[in-house]
Amino acid sequence: MAETINHLPSSMSNAINIQDLVVEFPGAHGGAVRALQGLSLSVAQGQVYGFLGPNGAGKTTTMHVLLGFIEATAGAARLFDEDVRQTIARRRIGYLPEHPDTYRFLTGRELLLMAGRLFGLSRTALNARTTELLALVGLETAADRRLATYSRGMLQRIGLAQALVNDPDLVILDEPASGFDPLGRIRIREIIVALRERGKTVFFSSHELSEVERVCDRVGILAAGRLVAEGRMAELVKAGESLEQYFIRVVS
Amino acid sequence: MIRILTLAWLVWLEMIRRKDIYVLLILLAAFLVTLMALNLFGLGQAVSYLKEIGLLLAWVCSWILAVSVSARQLPQEERQGTIFPLLAKPVSRAEVLLGKWLGAWVVTGAATLVFYVLLALMVALRGGGFGGVVLAQAWLLHLGLLAIITALGIAFSTRLHADAASALTYVVTLAAWLVMPRVPDLVLTARGVVQTGLMVIYYALPHLELFDLRRRLVYGWSPAPGAAVLLTLVYGLLMTAVFLTLGWLAYRNKRFTRGAML
Repeated sequence: MAETINHLPSSMSNAINIQDLVVEFPGAHGGAVRALQGLSLSVAQGQVYGFLGPNGAGKTTTMHVLLGFIEATAGAARLFDEDVRQTIARRRIGYLPEHPDTYRFLTGRELLLMAGRLFGLSRTALNARTTELLALVGLETAADRRLATYSRGMLQRIGLAQALVNDPDLVILDEPASGFDPLGRIRIREIIVALRERGKTVFFSSHELSEVERVCDRVGILAAGRLVAEGRMAELVKAGESLEQYFIRVVS
Repeated sequence: MIRILTLAWLVWLEMIRRKDIYVLLILLAAFLVTLMALNLFGLGQAVSYLKEIGLLLAWVCSWILAVSVSARQLPQEERQGTIFPLLAKPVSRAEVLLGKWLGAWVVTGAATLVFYVLLALMVALRGGGFGGVVLAQAWLLHLGLLAIITALGIAFSTRLHADAASALTYVVTLAAWLVMPRVPDLVLTARGVVQTGLMVIYYALPHLELFDLRRRLVYGWSPAPGAAVLLTLVYGLLMTAVFLTLGWLAYRNKRFTRGAML
């Protein structure tokens, strides 16, 4: 049973609602491996939510269900009250995957234009948005270079820009700090804080607990496909204890 | 529709920036120039010889291009991980399939047009020529054929790796091309289950031979009746729709799990 502290918000104001989610993958000898075992979770709009857990805990699986990459074996997941299996549920979200994979034959600008067109943005709005985002992630000078020539950090930054192209109400970030140098991490943190100030919801997984501690309103800790702790940061972590110490205590 | 067109544009841009088309074009040109320079069996001066071999080469090149481009689209998205940010946008899997197919079809159709123009130029250099209407009909029907082949490549690649999907598309299209015209004769001599099996194959596989106007081009025959061309194109569209629908059925619930716990 999850160590739930504090008021869970009502479903009407939630950006994410997950109920009794079970995900099974085919295992060896015809059996099944349970990646998620009845996960229930809510994230209110306007929050920065840190989704933590050791490797293999089910964080990425949860995100993949939310994004419609895999269907759950049982349970339900909704984004802004839309079933995640519906395409419409992804209109208000932005997603940055852990690996900054992209179309390397495109330029940075072309990638953003392509992403914007998939959201149905008009040409004028898209041109302005592209310029704005390139400045936000500090890639104005590299905008017309092929992505094949970008470094890993630059790919992560252009990936973040394409995740924000539709000015999403919910941003899902899978290990956003990976691939960044210390300055890049600070920039990511600033962007997350700026998103919160504009009332956006940020749901992100990370192993960088110090980053999580700095920016998150709430955290959920997943272990072996179950939510083992969930609540506001200040209420979960006792005085004199760091999030890292709390995380180790809860997970072990 | 904008999403389908955007995905098709992506395929187009990739092909323009990769070298596949240029390599095939250079190979075709090199073959044709060699054919014109050599005087094999004393046929070097015969324009119909150049037309026949040139058209065969153009067909083979566009076949290779259609299969290789279509069969790698979806597996490549998965291998590179680009399918994840793509599907995280409000794009349905049907739109992904249609966009990829449209892109592959347009790219191979445009390349085929270049092949035809190149061949027509070579033939003109030899003092020959193609009938304009027949050439236009041949290209239109070739487009219909390419629609079917690219749909097959896309459909197979929904569940197979690029190499396996390519191989299967080559085998099926080659079988359809070589075996289908002979099936009616075989049906007459076969009995029982074999006969039924042959009939099933006859109706299930596409009749690619319907799209072939090469003999009219080589021998300078009159254009095919417009209604026949139109009906053949409708048949091509129907077969394309069938293969794309089968591909969508295989793709709509596919799990994409890289990085997820397995």
